[in-house]
Amino acid sequence: MSNHFNRRSVMGGAAGLAGAIASISGTSPSNAKLPTNDIEPRGKTGKLERLPTLDLEANEEFLTSLRVFINGELTQAAAKSAAATASAKGIKPGQDVPLAEAFEILKSDPIVAMRNHSWQHLQMLMWDNLKREFHGNYDAYMAEMEAADKAGPGKLELNPGIEPAYTKHEIHMQPGGYTGDPFAGHIYHYGTNNFYNGGNYQDELHMKMASAVPVPKDGKVLRILDQGCSCGQLTVALKQRFPDAEVWGIDIGAPMVRYAHMRAVDMGVGANFRHALAEDSKFPDGHFDIVTSYILHHEVTLEASQKIVAESHRVLRPGGVYYPIDFNTNGKKLLGGASPYAKVREWMTYRWNHERWLMDYQAFDQAAEMTKVGFDVINGPTSGMDSFNAAYAGSNFVGIKKA
Amino acid sequence: MAETKGKRQEYTTDFIKADIGNVSFLGNVHIDNIMTALIAMGAEIWTDRRRIRVLESLLEKKGVTRDMVEQYVPTAEEEATWKKEREVLVDRMYGQFARQGSEFNISSDWKNK
Repeated sequence: MSNHFNRRSVMGGAAGLAGAIASISGTSPSNAKLPTNDIEPRGKTGKLERLPTLDLEANEEFLTSLRVFINGELTQAAAKSAAATASAKGIKPGQDVPLAEAFEILKSDPIVAMRNHSWQHLQMLMWDNLKREFHGNYDAYMAEMEAADKAGPGKLELNPGIEPAYTKHEIHMQPGGYTGDPFAGHIYHYGTNNFYNGGNYQDELHMKMASAVPVPKDGKVLRILDQGCSCGQLTVALKQRFPDAEVWGIDIGAPMVRYAHMRAVDMGVGANFRHALAEDSKFPDGHFDIVTSYILHHEVTLEASQKIVAESHRVLRPGGVYYPIDFNTNGKKLLGGASPYAKVREWMTYRWNHERWLMDYQAFDQAAEMTKVGFDVINGPTSGMDSFNAAYAGSNFVGIKKA
Repeated sequence: MAETKGKRQEYTTDFIKADIGNVSFLGNVHIDNIMTALIAMGAEIWTDRRRIRVLESLLEKKGVTRDMVEQYVPTAEEEATWKKEREVLVDRMYGQFARQGSEFNISSDWKNK
């Protein structure tokens, strides 16, 4: 466990160290203008507050490199090995097999087993490293959030007790999930830097998505809602693209919006955050010009997804734009293919990466739901997800609320 | 309702715990554990190596170049000390390779002892 600071006694020294490191790496040292309780002993690299110890940063970057290897070379090797194993057992390429049979075929394939183990356990180690850091310095990090809760320029609204059971799972095995750990936002932000294979340290993907969000035909953008905003990266990027608009990020994880707000305060961005369900946002009818979400729908129940589409329609004004971004939204297409390996991988994601509502999502037809509640639906611009994984290209629909 | 820890308001809830700790991907949970330890060890190796790279960069600014590190010839006393440390490390890491072991498994009884 990290014991790198007793903040109140060490910050002076830490700032000096950060300055020394900055001088050789091009990063900025701790910022003296920030609120008293701001913890960034190693300063920032661009938008990203550096992890508070060199050891933790190096450990996480190793796990990111390992993820690149596992997702690339090792997964390709596993797929090749699985194809050979299946072929040896009489399965033809493209042949659809039931999941139980797929498991039976591949249970003795050592490379598939190694890939599955490595993928899951790398992720467990990643979460564990981050949790140890933030919980190991509990009082300091809690004090930092408490100080930021009431700070501006944006607002923070917390509504304890509104979380339905379906939101309380440890999706991705994240300890405590989005609702049960006070540092869920901290852990999610640095953990997902690993998910993005190191390609989103400066919110590059979220900025690309924000720039792709379509504007209503009349050009009027006064208010924007970002549903399921997690740690607020898209919300902040939207506020930066539309600086004159009132931008709200909502999420059912109170620790997530606390972190999102704290980060926005730290960046000087006036985005607002509310602890709220996407399907019950508590905003008035016709309030927003644009409603967005990013990888929200595959993490909620089918019933919630349907309600979220209806809620989006309710809170948009006539002519307003709904732009939900997620993996392929036409159902049954997440990983593609019917091969034994594709089936086992999909199961692994659902069952052991605890994507608890993935199968609900597969049964969800986004475009049909949008049409049902009254949107005109068109194929949207590429969102940036396609640069993350080519398999997701062209998967986004845009809903226009009829006048 | 939101939970508190001491005097602090955490705004957290109870949660539904993942059961990932119960599964074996490699057919034997101990093999899984060894593989996990190997992954963690790789991360530790890189963590140390990265710190060394930082130290080298800082030292270079103070006039101690990487070439000087490469060319450094240990004293006889250092050689002897490092040799002992190295041998301890080898034994700690690979001593298990010499274990004869037995065919007993966890359910074996005592009758062959």
